[in-house]
Amino acid sequence: MKTKHILTLGISILLMLMSISALAQNEDTSDPVVSDSLKITNRYGIRLGGDLSKLIRTVLEDDYQGFEIMGDYRLTKRLYISGEIGFEEKTTKSEFLRSTANGSYFKAGLDYNTFDNWFGMENAIYAGLRVGASTFKQTVNDFTVYNTNQYWEEQFTSATEQEFSGLAALWSELIIGLKAEVLPNLYLGLNAQLKVLISDDQPSNFENIYIPGFNKTYDSGRFGVGYGYNVSYLIPLYKKEK
Amino acid sequence: MTSSCERDDICSATTPTTPNAIITFYDVANIETLKSVTGLRIIGDGQEDALPTVNVVTTDSITIPLRTNMNSTKYTFHKDYSFDDNGTPDDSSDDVIGGNPDVVTISYAPDQIYVSRACGYKTIFRNFSIDLEDDGDTWIQTILNVTDNITIENEDQAHINIRH
Repeated sequence: MKTKHILTLGISILLMLMSISALAQNEDTSDPVVSDSLKITNRYGIRLGGDLSKLIRTVLEDDYQGFEIMGDYRLTKRLYISGEIGFEEKTTKSEFLRSTANGSYFKAGLDYNTFDNWFGMENAIYAGLRVGASTFKQTVNDFTVYNTNQYWEEQFTSATEQEFSGLAALWSELIIGLKAEVLPNLYLGLNAQLKVLISDDQPSNFENIYIPGFNKTYDSGRFGVGYGYNVSYLIPLYKKEK
Repeated sequence: MTSSCERDDICSATTPTTPNAIITFYDVANIETLKSVTGLRIIGDGQEDALPTVNVVTTDSITIPLRTNMNSTKYTFHKDYSFDDNGTPDDSSDDVIGGNPDVVTISYAPDQIYVSRACGYKTIFRNFSIDLEDDGDTWIQTILNVTDNITIENEDQAHINIRH
């Protein structure tokens, strides 16, 4: 619930920032000094950043550690090559089972900016596709056998860690998000991800409850979800008309 | 996003987890015919109370739990159980317990099998065997594994037959 609130807050702040900068833009364009002959140029470059939500969760949640570095490179007015690399360690607990997944992942793909910017602005409302891959390890930390019949109260308990290393997973991902330039070249962004698992190595006599980068798996199918909350910096390389 | 009560997190009652052993009772004179045991009461070795489902009942089929943290489970199968405290519930020295108790031990190799994230692991019981203590007056004539079924891994059919 905590993270949901952070996300909602993030969305509100970003939308606000985007509208404020749009207002500011409005004043700029109404400036009579701006002549029609001024060429509209866009900045092209590499944008690098990180996922704040993973850092916040690392601090707030006892059973989570993670970071993600993201980058994109602008190809055309609307198209970007995008990618993320990251690391996650997540412990999942239930009454009867405690397990930890940890490993690294990368995602690569394209983003398409659907947002029509005012002159000189570089905000984005985008949709993108990714292919994600993770190599990771699952550890069953401890468990107590589930038995609906509690006549013999004590059930078998294992506290011996079982490790399943060298696992890999592959998935595809649809990503939608916002990026707002809040200071020159500095962007705040947030995104939501819908993932479809293509393949994953199953540990024997266990399953992948969490896959780094893919996040929680579900019993009901191959879908996963995620979100990101980014700060990034644009390193401009050149400018181009349109 | 974290959420604390999803369907995946609750072990459904319909999910088969650790199985009970199912025992059916047959007529020793006609081994194809089910025959009820009268006044059956089953109590685990070292337990204070009888199995709640088998506490002086007349039945031809029972389920009993096996210990998941041991290699065997010992029960007393008490037929025609009766109990008389002679009007002194606080004094057990004059209690009269009637009927015929037989002691049965089921031995096995427990094995932990992953079920799901909500249920965790269950125990199945491999290579099980049954031993009847010879007290010179057993009401159980024969106790045996149901043919070739040497692993108790679900509750789909009986695992043990008792002829009496």
